[in-house]
Amino acid sequence: MKNRLKVLRAERDWSQQDLATRLEVSRQSVNAIETGRYDPSLPLAFRIADVFGLAIEDIFLRGE
Amino acid sequence: MSGTSRPWLLTSPGRWVALYFFSVVIIAALKLTGAIESPVGFILLAAATCLLLPLARRRSDGCISRAMADYNRRIVFSSLGYVLGLGIAVTLWNSYQLSDALVFAISLLPTLPTFGIIWAMARYLAEEQDEYLRHRMIMAALVALGVVLAIGIFYGFLEMFELVPHIWAWWVLPVWAIGLGLAQLWQKVRGS
Repeated sequence: MKNRLKVLRAERDWSQQDLATRLEVSRQSVNAIETGRYDPSLPLAFRIADVFGLAIEDIFLRGE
Repeated sequence: MSGTSRPWLLTSPGRWVALYFFSVVIIAALKLTGAIESPVGFILLAAATCLLLPLARRRSDGCISRAMADYNRRIVFSSLGYVLGLGIAVTLWNSYQLSDALVFAISLLPTLPTFGIIWAMARYLAEEQDEYLRHRMIMAALVALGVVLAIGIFYGFLEMFELVPHIWAWWVLPVWAIGLGLAQLWQKVRGS
Protein backbone atom coordinates (compact mmCIF):
# COMPACT_ATOMS: atom_id res chain seq x y z
CA MET A 1 0.00 0.00 0.00
CA LYS A 2 1.37 3.43 -0.95
CA ASN A 3 1.56 6.16 1.65
CA ARG A 4 2.63 9.77 2.11
CA LEU A 5 4.66 9.28 5.26
CA LYS A 6 7.94 10.50 3.79
CA VAL A 7 6.35 13.69 2.44
CA LEU A 8 4.47 14.36 5.67
CA ARG A 9 7.65 13.83 7.68
CA ALA A 10 9.61 16.16 5.42
CA GLU A 11 6.94 18.85 5.78
CA ARG A 12 7.41 18.72 9.55
CA ASP A 13 11.19 18.26 9.34
CA TRP A 14 10.97 15.03 11.31
CA SER A 15 13.48 12.21 11.01
CA GLN A 16 12.31 8.59 10.97
CA GLN A 17 13.48 8.35 14.58
CA ASP A 18 11.43 11.45 15.50
CA LEU A 19 8.30 9.84 14.07
CA ALA A 20 9.14 6.48 15.65
CA THR A 21 9.45 8.15 19.06
CA ARG A 22 6.08 9.86 18.63
CA LEU A 23 4.47 6.56 17.60
CA GLU A 24 6.33 4.57 20.29
CA VAL A 25 7.61 2.09 17.72
CA SER A 26 11.08 1.26 16.37
CA ARG A 27 12.77 3.26 13.60
CA GLN A 28 12.80 0.03 11.57
CA SER A 29 8.99 0.00 11.75
CA VAL A 30 8.73 3.53 10.38
CA ASN A 31 11.20 2.71 7.63
CA ALA A 32 9.33 -0.50 6.68
CA ILE A 33 5.96 1.27 6.57
CA GLU A 34 7.34 4.27 4.70
CA THR A 35 8.96 2.13 2.00
CA GLY A 36 5.82 -0.01 1.63
CA ARG A 37 7.43 -3.21 2.88
CA TYR A 38 4.97 -3.48 5.75
CA ASP A 39 1.34 -2.40 6.02
CA PRO A 40 0.49 -1.28 9.55
CA SER A 41 -2.44 -2.67 11.51
CA LEU A 42 -5.54 -0.51 11.81
CA PRO A 43 -4.71 0.62 15.39
CA LEU A 44 -1.20 1.72 14.31
CA ALA A 45 -2.61 3.41 11.20
CA PHE A 46 -4.95 5.41 13.48
CA ARG A 47 -1.98 6.36 15.70
CA ILE A 48 -0.07 7.55 12.62
CA ALA A 49 -3.10 9.58 11.53
CA ASP A 50 -3.39 11.11 15.02
CA VAL A 51 0.31 12.07 15.08
CA PHE A 52 -0.05 13.92 11.78
CA GLY A 53 -3.50 15.28 12.62
CA LEU A 54 -4.94 13.82 9.43
CA ALA A 55 -7.42 11.14 8.41
CA ILE A 56 -6.08 7.69 7.54
CA GLU A 57 -7.11 8.06 3.89
CA ASP A 58 -5.04 11.27 3.67
CA ILE A 59 -1.93 9.24 4.52
CA PHE A 60 -2.53 5.80 3.05
CA LEU A 61 -3.55 5.47 -0.57
CA ARG A 62 -5.68 2.77 -2.19
CA GLY A 63 -4.10 0.21 -4.54
CA GLU A 64 -0.58 -1.20 -4.63
CA MET B 1 24.42 4.77 20.30
CA SER B 2 27.07 2.71 18.59
CA GLY B 3 26.87 0.94 15.30
CA THR B 4 23.71 2.46 13.83
CA SER B 5 25.41 3.06 10.48
CA ARG B 6 27.75 0.07 10.55
CA PRO B 7 26.90 -3.48 9.48
CA TRP B 8 25.33 -5.48 12.32
CA LEU B 9 28.20 -8.01 12.35
CA LEU B 10 30.69 -5.27 13.25
CA THR B 11 28.66 -3.85 16.14
CA SER B 12 29.58 -5.04 19.63
CA PRO B 13 26.89 -7.74 20.25
CA GLY B 14 27.12 -8.90 16.64
CA ARG B 15 30.86 -9.34 16.99
CA TRP B 16 30.39 -11.61 20.03
CA VAL B 17 27.72 -13.66 18.26
CA ALA B 18 30.01 -14.10 15.23
CA LEU B 19 32.87 -15.11 17.53
CA TYR B 20 30.55 -17.63 19.23
CA PHE B 21 29.60 -19.31 15.96
CA PHE B 22 33.26 -19.34 14.88
CA SER B 23 34.18 -21.03 18.19
CA VAL B 24 31.42 -23.62 17.80
CA VAL B 25 32.69 -24.52 14.31
CA ILE B 26 36.26 -24.89 15.64
CA ILE B 27 35.11 -27.06 18.60
CA ALA B 28 32.96 -29.22 16.29
CA ALA B 29 35.93 -29.68 13.95
CA LEU B 30 38.18 -30.69 16.87
CA LYS B 31 35.54 -33.15 18.12
CA LEU B 32 34.88 -34.67 14.69
CA THR B 33 38.60 -35.16 14.02
CA GLY B 34 39.03 -36.83 17.41
CA ALA B 35 41.41 -34.16 18.69
CA ILE B 36 39.31 -33.72 21.84
CA GLU B 37 37.12 -36.06 23.87
CA SER B 38 33.49 -35.56 24.93
CA PRO B 39 33.89 -33.83 28.35
CA VAL B 40 36.49 -31.40 26.99
CA GLY B 41 34.26 -30.63 24.03
CA PHE B 42 31.30 -29.78 26.28
CA ILE B 43 33.48 -27.66 28.58
CA LEU B 44 34.78 -25.72 25.57
CA LEU B 45 31.23 -25.40 24.23
CA ALA B 46 30.00 -24.04 27.58
CA ALA B 47 32.91 -21.58 27.61
CA ALA B 48 32.06 -20.54 24.04
CA THR B 49 28.43 -19.96 25.06
CA CYS B 50 29.72 -17.45 27.61
CA LEU B 51 30.73 -15.33 24.59
CA LEU B 52 27.00 -14.62 24.26
CA LEU B 53 26.82 -13.02 27.71
CA PRO B 54 27.38 -9.48 26.30
CA LEU B 55 24.20 -10.09 24.29
CA ALA B 56 22.35 -11.04 27.49
CA ARG B 57 23.60 -7.90 29.28
CA ARG B 58 22.52 -5.59 26.47
CA ARG B 59 19.80 -3.23 27.63
CA SER B 60 16.89 -1.89 25.66
CA ASP B 61 17.97 1.08 23.53
CA GLY B 62 17.14 2.68 20.19
CA CYS B 63 18.33 -0.43 18.37
CA ILE B 64 16.50 -3.16 20.29
CA SER B 65 13.22 -3.15 22.18
CA ARG B 66 12.85 -4.10 25.83
CA ALA B 67 11.13 -7.33 24.80
CA MET B 68 14.09 -8.21 22.55
CA ALA B 69 16.57 -7.45 25.35
CA ASP B 70 14.60 -9.78 27.66
CA TYR B 71 14.41 -12.41 24.89
CA ASN B 72 18.18 -12.28 24.33
CA ARG B 73 18.84 -12.69 28.05
CA ARG B 74 16.46 -15.66 28.34
CA ILE B 75 17.84 -17.35 25.22
CA VAL B 76 21.48 -16.97 26.30
CA PHE B 77 20.88 -18.38 29.80
CA SER B 78 18.71 -21.21 28.41
CA SER B 79 21.43 -22.04 25.87
CA LEU B 80 24.06 -22.06 28.60
CA GLY B 81 21.82 -24.38 30.65
CA TYR B 82 21.34 -26.61 27.62
CA VAL B 83 25.08 -27.01 26.97
CA LEU B 84 25.85 -27.62 30.65
CA GLY B 85 22.92 -30.04 31.01
CA LEU B 86 23.90 -31.92 27.86
CA GLY B 87 27.53 -32.14 28.97
CA ILE B 88 26.64 -33.43 32.44
CA ALA B 89 24.06 -35.90 31.08
CA VAL B 90 26.39 -37.35 28.43
CA THR B 91 29.31 -37.58 30.88
CA LEU B 92 27.15 -39.41 33.46
CA TRP B 93 25.74 -41.71 30.78
CA ASN B 94 29.24 -42.60 29.53
CA SER B 95 30.74 -43.04 33.01
CA TYR B 96 28.13 -44.96 34.99
CA GLN B 97 25.62 -47.78 34.65
CA LEU B 98 22.46 -45.83 35.41
CA SER B 99 19.01 -47.13 36.32
CA ASP B 100 16.04 -46.26 34.11
CA ALA B 101 14.85 -43.68 36.63
CA LEU B 102 18.24 -41.95 36.61
CA VAL B 103 18.41 -42.05 32.82
CA PHE B 104 14.97 -40.41 32.80
CA ALA B 105 16.28 -37.76 35.22
CA ILE B 106 19.48 -36.99 33.27
CA SER B 107 17.44 -36.74 30.06
CA LEU B 108 15.66 -33.81 31.67
CA LEU B 109 18.96 -31.93 32.19
CA PRO B 110 19.33 -30.80 28.55
CA THR B 111 15.57 -30.99 27.87
CA LEU B 112 14.34 -28.44 30.43
CA PRO B 113 16.59 -25.60 29.14
CA THR B 114 15.24 -26.21 25.62
CA PHE B 115 11.75 -25.69 27.06
CA GLY B 116 13.21 -22.40 28.33
CA ILE B 117 14.12 -21.47 24.75
CA ILE B 118 10.57 -22.23 23.56
CA TRP B 119 9.16 -20.27 26.51
CA ALA B 120 11.48 -17.32 25.70
CA MET B 121 10.13 -17.23 22.14
CA ALA B 122 6.53 -17.36 23.38
CA ARG B 123 7.19 -14.58 25.93
CA TYR B 124 8.82 -12.42 23.25
CA LEU B 125 5.82 -12.71 20.95
CA ALA B 126 3.52 -11.85 23.88
CA GLU B 127 5.63 -8.95 25.21
CA GLU B 128 6.83 -7.26 22.00
CA GLN B 129 4.85 -4.03 21.66
CA ASP B 130 6.23 -3.18 18.21
CA GLU B 131 4.01 -5.00 15.72
CA TYR B 132 6.55 -4.84 12.88
CA LEU B 133 9.33 -6.43 15.00
CA ARG B 134 6.84 -9.06 16.14
CA HIS B 135 5.87 -9.70 12.52
CA ARG B 136 9.55 -10.16 11.59
CA MET B 137 10.09 -12.69 14.39
CA ILE B 138 6.96 -14.63 13.42
CA MET B 139 8.09 -14.77 9.79
CA ALA B 140 11.59 -15.92 10.82
CA ALA B 141 10.09 -18.58 13.12
CA LEU B 142 7.87 -19.82 10.27
CA VAL B 143 10.91 -20.06 7.98
CA ALA B 144 12.74 -21.99 10.71
CA LEU B 145 9.75 -24.32 11.07
CA GLY B 146 9.74 -24.85 7.29
CA VAL B 147 13.45 -25.71 7.39
CA VAL B 148 12.90 -28.26 10.18
CA LEU B 149 9.95 -29.86 8.37
CA ALA B 150 11.68 -29.96 4.99
CA ILE B 151 14.97 -31.38 6.29
CA GLY B 152 13.22 -33.69 8.77
CA ILE B 153 10.88 -35.20 6.18
CA PHE B 154 13.60 -35.57 3.54
CA TYR B 155 16.08 -37.06 6.01
CA GLY B 156 13.40 -39.36 7.41
CA PHE B 157 12.79 -40.94 4.01
CA LEU B 158 16.53 -41.16 3.29
CA GLU B 159 16.89 -42.94 6.63
CA MET B 160 13.92 -45.22 5.95
CA PHE B 161 15.52 -46.34 2.68
CA GLU B 162 18.79 -46.89 4.58
CA LEU B 163 20.78 -44.33 2.61
CA VAL B 164 21.81 -42.28 5.66
CA PRO B 165 22.49 -43.21 9.30
CA HIS B 166 19.94 -42.70 12.10
CA ILE B 167 20.05 -39.37 13.92
CA TRP B 168 18.39 -38.44 17.20
CA ALA B 169 15.18 -36.43 17.21
CA TRP B 170 16.61 -33.66 19.42
CA TRP B 171 18.46 -32.41 16.34
CA VAL B 172 15.22 -30.56 15.48
CA LEU B 173 16.23 -27.84 17.96
CA PRO B 174 19.67 -26.98 16.49
CA VAL B 175 18.23 -27.21 12.97
CA TRP B 176 15.35 -24.92 13.98
CA ALA B 177 17.80 -22.47 15.60
CA ILE B 178 19.99 -22.45 12.48
CA GLY B 179 16.89 -21.85 10.33
CA LEU B 180 15.82 -18.98 12.61
CA GLY B 181 19.30 -17.44 12.48
CA LEU B 182 19.51 -17.70 8.70
CA ALA B 183 16.02 -16.20 8.30
CA GLN B 184 16.93 -13.26 10.57
CA LEU B 185 20.21 -12.76 8.68
CA TRP B 186 18.26 -12.77 5.42
CA GLN B 187 15.86 -10.16 6.87
CA LYS B 188 18.80 -7.95 7.83
CA VAL B 189 20.46 -8.32 4.42
CA ARG B 190 17.20 -7.50 2.63
CA GLY B 191 16.38 -4.74 5.07
CA SER B 192 12.92 -6.19 5.58
